[in-house]
Amino acid sequence: MTTAHARWVISASLMLALIIYTVPMPRTFAWFRPELPLVVLMYWVLALPHTAGIITATLVGICMAVLQGNTPGALSLGLVVSVLVLLFTYQRVRQFDIVQQSITIALLVGASLIIERVLLLSAGEVVVEGYVFLAPLPLTLLCWYPVRAILRGLRRYYEVR
Amino acid sequence: MGWRLVAAIALCVSALIYFDDSPRLEPARRVAVDGSSWVLSLAAGPGQILGAMGDYFRSRDSLREDNERLVQENLVLQARTQRLASVLSENARYRALLNSTELLQDDIMVAEVVSVVADPANHLLVLDKGARDGVYVGQPMLGAEGLLGQITMVGERSSRAILISDASHAVPVQVMRNGVRALAEGTGSIEELLIRHLAATTDIEVGDVLVTSGLGGRFPPNYPVAKVVDINLRPEASFASVRAKPLASLDRGRHVLLALAHTESAAP
Repeated sequence: MTTAHARWVISASLMLALIIYTVPMPRTFAWFRPELPLVVLMYWVLALPHTAGIITATLVGICMAVLQGNTPGALSLGLVVSVLVLLFTYQRVRQFDIVQQSITIALLVGASLIIERVLLLSAGEVVVEGYVFLAPLPLTLLCWYPVRAILRGLRRYYEVR
Repeated sequence: MGWRLVAAIALCVSALIYFDDSPRLEPARRVAVDGSSWVLSLAAGPGQILGAMGDYFRSRDSLREDNERLVQENLVLQARTQRLASVLSENARYRALLNSTELLQDDIMVAEVVSVVADPANHLLVLDKGARDGVYVGQPMLGAEGLLGQITMVGERSSRAILISDASHAVPVQVMRNGVRALAEGTGSIEELLIRHLAATTDIEVGDVLVTSGLGGRFPPNYPVAKVVDINLRPEASFASVRAKPLASLDRGRHVLLALAHTESAAP
């Protein structure tokens, strides 16, 4: 089912990531849940920087915030900054080996989470104290490799451009 | 890239400032609540199907035991209701004698919990009743054992409710034993509410039951909220800090009650 650009694959993968991300789980595990939609977003920005970019990041951020019950806008701004960094450096990041890439992606996700927290705090929202909001990062780092492998396969199969 | 960046930042900043409060964005909030509850119920689907299959294959004996237990409970509850009815009518007569103008009468609507919101930092439930069923923002949400929380966002056919344990929630309470008033704040832990700034000389004991005081006008009075489990009173401090455990099981149960609190003038 190859269409002109098959961009629906991008939306479908992001949608699926959002659904997987929201599967209910015990509260203790939920703190460590990897930020799957953000990893998928980072993959598409890295692979197709002219197709997925700032607007996609904004929309993903708003969807995530609505699903998490946070004020939308904060995470989006964090993601816009991270995606901007990735857009300026994508050619270099593509040359990284898998370990370097995983660390880069985890750092970018971490940066957007920190920006989100700062914005939520300055907007007067009550957030949980401490650094527990960074707990998803280890699993986020680990899930970059499988996500990249799956999405690369999809991208080549459907010839997404 | 330039105009996209400007548009994205403008969208984010305006969402951050206006989304939660602006009355003009009510339709957008409804779409957000309905859309997110659809996604969340989709994500919760497989687990629910497994649970339903488990129910389907339960043995006849366990169903019969359940049934017997429920019949007995029902008898006990019916007896209590009858007594309550007589107490209520007596209470109404006394109120009339005292020329009390307002009488609170509660109707109850049952809603099903579709899912919980993904972020563990936010104690939010997604319910299957929305604006078309008469749900409104601020509506109290009750469980069988006590107060659960209140509705924060309403969609057309679903709604979102915050639990009393959420770190951004507080409920006005009073001690059932002596009527001492306080404010029970959520802590972000599902097991704990906190009362800060209670004068050190206040008469409060471990085991005291806290009920809603009805001050603030949001929650109907006298619904049980929590039980005091710990009182931290240092001699040099002017305030005691009290920890209480919510009476309702906040992370269990598939059904909640939404109170339709409306006031009626009592005939003298």
